[in-house]
Formats: sequence, C-alpha cells, structure tokens
Amino acid sequence: MSTHTIDDTSPSNVSESEWAVETHGLTKRFGDNVAVNDVELLVPRGCAFGYLGPNGAGKTTLIRVLLGLTRADAGTMSLLGVSVPRHRDRALARVGAIVDEPRFHGHLTGRQNLEILAAARERDARGRIDSSLERVGMAHRANDRVSKYSMGMRQRLGVAACLLGDPQLLILDEPMNGLDPAGMHEMRDMILSLVSEDRTVMLSSHLLDEVERTCDAVAIVDSGKVIRQGPISELLAGAAMEVHVGCSSPDRARSVLATSAFGEKIDVESTGLSIHLPSGTGKDAIAEINRLLVEDGIAVYHLEEVQVSLESWFLQVTSRLGENV
Amino acid sequence: MTSVANSPAPAAAKVTNPVSRDTRGSWIPNGAMIRTRIMELRKRRGLMAAMIVVNVGVPTIFLLVRIVAHIVAPKSYGPAGGYDIFSNLVVGIMYFFGFIVAATLGCTAGSVDLTDGMFRHLVITGRSRLALYLARIPAGLALIVPLVAAGFTIVCAVCVFAAPTKINYQGVPVPPGLSATGFNHWAESHPKEAVCGLPYNGPIGVQVPCFINGQGTVIIPRGTPGFKNISPATLKAEALRVAEQNYAAYQKLFLYPSVPLMIRTGLWIELEATIGFIVGLGLASLMGQRTVPVVLMIVLEVILTPVFSRTAIPHLINAQRGLVGLAMAHLEPSALPHGLGGGGGGPGGSTLVPESLTVGICVIVAWLVGWTALGAWRMVKRDA
Repeated sequence: MSTHTIDDTSPSNVSESEWAVETHGLTKRFGDNVAVNDVELLVPRGCAFGYLGPNGAGKTTLIRVLLGLTRADAGTMSLLGVSVPRHRDRALARVGAIVDEPRFHGHLTGRQNLEILAAARERDARGRIDSSLERVGMAHRANDRVSKYSMGMRQRLGVAACLLGDPQLLILDEPMNGLDPAGMHEMRDMILSLVSEDRTVMLSSHLLDEVERTCDAVAIVDSGKVIRQGPISELLAGAAMEVHVGCSSPDRARSVLATSAFGEKIDVESTGLSIHLPSGTGKDAIAEINRLLVEDGIAVYHLEEVQVSLESWFLQVTSRLGENV
Repeated sequence: MTSVANSPAPAAAKVTNPVSRDTRGSWIPNGAMIRTRIMELRKRRGLMAAMIVVNVGVPTIFLLVRIVAHIVAPKSYGPAGGYDIFSNLVVGIMYFFGFIVAATLGCTAGSVDLTDGMFRHLVITGRSRLALYLARIPAGLALIVPLVAAGFTIVCAVCVFAAPTKINYQGVPVPPGLSATGFNHWAESHPKEAVCGLPYNGPIGVQVPCFINGQGTVIIPRGTPGFKNISPATLKAEALRVAEQNYAAYQKLFLYPSVPLMIRTGLWIELEATIGFIVGLGLASLMGQRTVPVVLMIVLEVILTPVFSRTAIPHLINAQRGLVGLAMAHLEPSALPHGLGGGGGGPGGSTLVPESLTVGICVIVAWLVGWTALGAWRMVKRDA
C-alpha cells in the first residue's frame, strides 16, 4: 500500500461523534494477505452491532487493529469519537473487549485476575470488581482458580473484565463460543441489558441466528472487506423473497407462471409451488401471482411470504460476492 | 456499501469523561500494578518454592546439619560456622544458584502474560505498554531481593555465632587474630605444634619425624627419639623461626567474616541476583517465551562465564570483557576465595581476564539498561 496514513483526527470532538466505532480506509496486511481491506465501518452508538463473516474473513483482525493490539497499515479509525492509535489511552478508557478466546492466569482466582486488570485501569475500576462478577453470575466462583473454570465461565469472566472500566463500548469477539444453550441465552440477555443502558455492544460472530436475535444492525465482512452494513430490518427488506403458494394444480400453476415475470425459479411441491423472487421485488408481486393463477382457473388456497432469515441473506450476499469476484 | 444513516438512532452522545487524574498513558507504573504483579508471581508455587529452597532452604539445612553434627560429635565435626563455611556457602551456592533462580523468575515475569493470554487483556485497558513492562521490575525485585537477604542473613548469623574458637592453620589449631608478637609467643609456648605442623622453607635445626593429626595433636612415630635429645631453648628458637615465616599467611585467616566483608558480600550477591532477574526479564520479553531464555541464562552462568572469564583469547578479549559475569567476578570481595577466579586477595591471586573496575561497572550498567530497553521495546512493538 503506497499510502501509509494512520491519520489522527483531533480529539476535541470526543463526545460529539454519533459513532461508537468509525473507520475509513482501514487496511491491515500480513505479507501478501490483506486481512482488513479498506474497511469503512460505522457503528452507531447505543445499539448491538453484529460484525459477521465466515471464518478467516478478517473479523478478529479488524478488532485487534481497533484495540491497538496490532498496527494498521493504512486508514483512520476512532473509538467513541477519540482517534486511535494517537489517543489510544483515552479511547480505551471507556472500552471493554474480549478478543479471541478469553484466557487468564490459570493459577490465580477469577477475582485476582480482575484485580490485575483493574490495577491497570483507573482507580475506580478496583471498586467495580465485585459488581462485575455479580453481573456475569460469577460471584460464587470468584475465589476459585481459573484453571478450574469451564470455557463458558472464562467467557463470563472475560465479560466481567470488560465491565471493570464502566465501558461505553464493548467489543466482543465470538462471545457465544463455548457456551451451552443456557449460557448463550444468558449472554444474549446480558448484551441486551448492556444496550439498554445506552452502551454500545459490537460483537463479531459467525452464529447468524444469535446475531439476528441480539443485534439491531450488522456489517457483513468477507475477504477482509465490508460488503454490506446497516440495520438488519433494512438489509433483509432488500433481500430476495420466497413465496409459498397452496393451489389445486401445482404443475399447471407452474406452466402459467413460467411465461410470466415470476417464472425464473419455481419449485413444484406436492401441495403447491415455491416461488423465488429476486431482491427488490415488492409485495404487489404476491397479488399479481394470485391474479394470474385465479384468472387461469386454478384454485389458490393460500399465499405465504416466507421471511428471509439473516442466515439465508448472508449466504445470498456472500455467494453473490463470490460470483462477482 | 450500504449506508447506515438510517440505523437505530444513536444514543445521545454520552461519554463519561475518562476519570480525572487517569494516568494510564504514563510510562510510570502505579503502585497497584506493582502489587498485583507481585501477587501474580508470588502465587506461582513451584517457582516460589524453588526460590525459597535455593536461597534459604539449602544454606539453612546445610548449616543445621553441621550444627547438629557438631553438637552430637564435636571431636569429629567442627563448628557449624566460621569464615570458611561462609565463603564456601556464598561463593559455591548462593551466588550461582541465586543467579539462576533470579533469572528463572525474570524469565517467568517476562513471558507469562503472553503465554497465559493476559497480555491482550492488559493492552486493552489502554495502559502504556512500557508501564506494563516496567511494573515487573520492582515486583520481581521485591521478591528476589528479600529472599536472598534472608538466606544470606541466616548464613551470616550462623557463621558468626557458631564460629570456631580456634583457627585451623595448616592443621594446627591456633588462636585467631594474633599480632606478629602474639603469634611468636604462641609458637614459643607451643613449640612442638609449630615445628611439626607449620611449613618451613629452608633448613631447620630440629630434625624430628613428627606431624599433627586431625585433632591437632602432635604425633611422634614409635621407635623414634622424638624431642628427648633437644633442649627446650633450641626447640623454642626453632619454633620462633617457623612462626616468623608463617605469620604473613596466618594473618589472612579469619575466625568468622568481618562486618565489612559480610556487607560487601551481601551487596555482591544481591547485585548478581538483580542482574539475573533483569536480564532474564528482558530476554524472555524479547523472545516471548520462558523455556529457551532460562536455558540460555543457565548456559551463560554455568558455561560461558567461567570459560571466557578465565581464558583470555587475544582477538576476543574485548568481547570477553563485555561478559557481565566477568565484571561481577572482578567485583567479588577480595577476602573471598577464587569463586569465579576473582576475589582471593587481590593482585597475583586472580586468574581472571583483566578488566578495570570502571569498565566492569560500565558493563554491568550496560547489561541492566540494555536488556531492559530491549525487553521494553519488544513489549511496546509486539502484536498482542
């Protein structure tokens, strides 16, 4: 990359930025491999934001760059309106993060590990150890050695470590990893409760179902590049649509629709049809399908628009990208 | 790229201003960081046990056994303390093993955050990486220095309070601290011990086949006339000649270590332990692991330092002078034996590669500062 500009904006607009995370042209290379490729990311404050991508897409690398764990090769970034890495200490003062699998000193207790981390933060952090442990449900195991903790308990301890700094922004990398269903449920509730306190939670994950349940907005990353971002509802509204039609004569119905604008992809089922409509198709298309079938004397028993899941949309988007690339 | 302009309304820009007096950007570690770092190291039971055993346990057990043996069988086992025991324990055990244990502690302190996965958590706090590194130095020294001091204090106490009442000079029990006149008087009053036990360079007028046994008693082989044919005046005169020749060697013997020697020796082994810790810390931080640096430190102390301190290689002599072990050997108190080829009574007694005191001090300072700088640099630049 010819431009090597880790530009730093003035820190004077700390509290005026509407974005919890803001990056422009952020790039990180490992040799010839571009792990983070010209990323433009805007994470609004006060929401749960999902950063989605397949394995190896560069999710963790972006988080590491944001947190100053590794250096960016180009681009600008800010956390809570404070530019990093220039004002990294100020920016991270109100940021908590888990990157990769949370690991701690195994020979120390959970509380002692938090004491070490609190000592590196501001003085008030030391007074938040108990409340953080309470909040993640680890108070009763706080005096056990971490080497005896399960993966899920270490995840919770990681979240407790994040809470020591009373963070306005939490960045959680695959927080559901290693959690059982109950643990995932608790983690989801915790994230939602943090968001309800006006905190921003940015979580990276490949568990799309969990992200869909938890997050308000997402960004999709593939091969180091952000290919889509925005509120989930908006993104899904623009996704391809699927309509199930229950009718009297599925084969004849397909023949009727095959000559219409909806004939591109129709699956015949025993009780009707499954019609795949391209993204951007409006709801009027459903009424038009009904009209065409009825006019041809086919009895229509029901019409159902199948809600596109984030997962199927994600697959659409990433596969489309693959085709284009 | 899809804009997120219509995403959920961002919360009112509300950032609690970072706490005033928040000094996390400073390179100076705070007290809490040092305290928790001490706690982290102190809780490593295996390492702490090794440190205690080497610095306190081994000398204590050794002295305890000698005390008990002396109480049970005083004729077979000499007193537990004394100058010889002091110098052997300090140079033979505390100096070498203290260095290795201190280096192990340094290597542990320099690498565990990385290997345990805590480094990342610590960096995310926003604390200066340099401060994170520097916090380890006082923390480690707060553990190793008192332990070395404790072990050394025990050695000093036993060596002083359980010292022998007589010096064993050439196998002959002699009162300590005599002046030349006093030594001559002792020889005149113990002429047989002087003539039979003390070495004499030159012809001696009394030709008696005698020697001193392990209990300090004069033994005359059976069948020989012994001293029957020698007048007391002749015997005293010969004893006086022998004493006069031996006084120079006798006056270098001590019953127990003097206070100045103990202070100098204590500072010397503390400095050695400090060097071991600081170098180990820097090396482990540089390499990002513990095992290889520990092995390298042992190789440095046990192989490289003894070899290159004693053998001057003409083309490499300046490189040899850069060895911290050589510099430390030159700082060895002169009243100690040749532990590293140093000490042992000054000019003529040393087998070390020559080096001035100023150069030696510069080398030690350079090692301390250099390894700290290298370790800190790697800590600051390392990907977490």
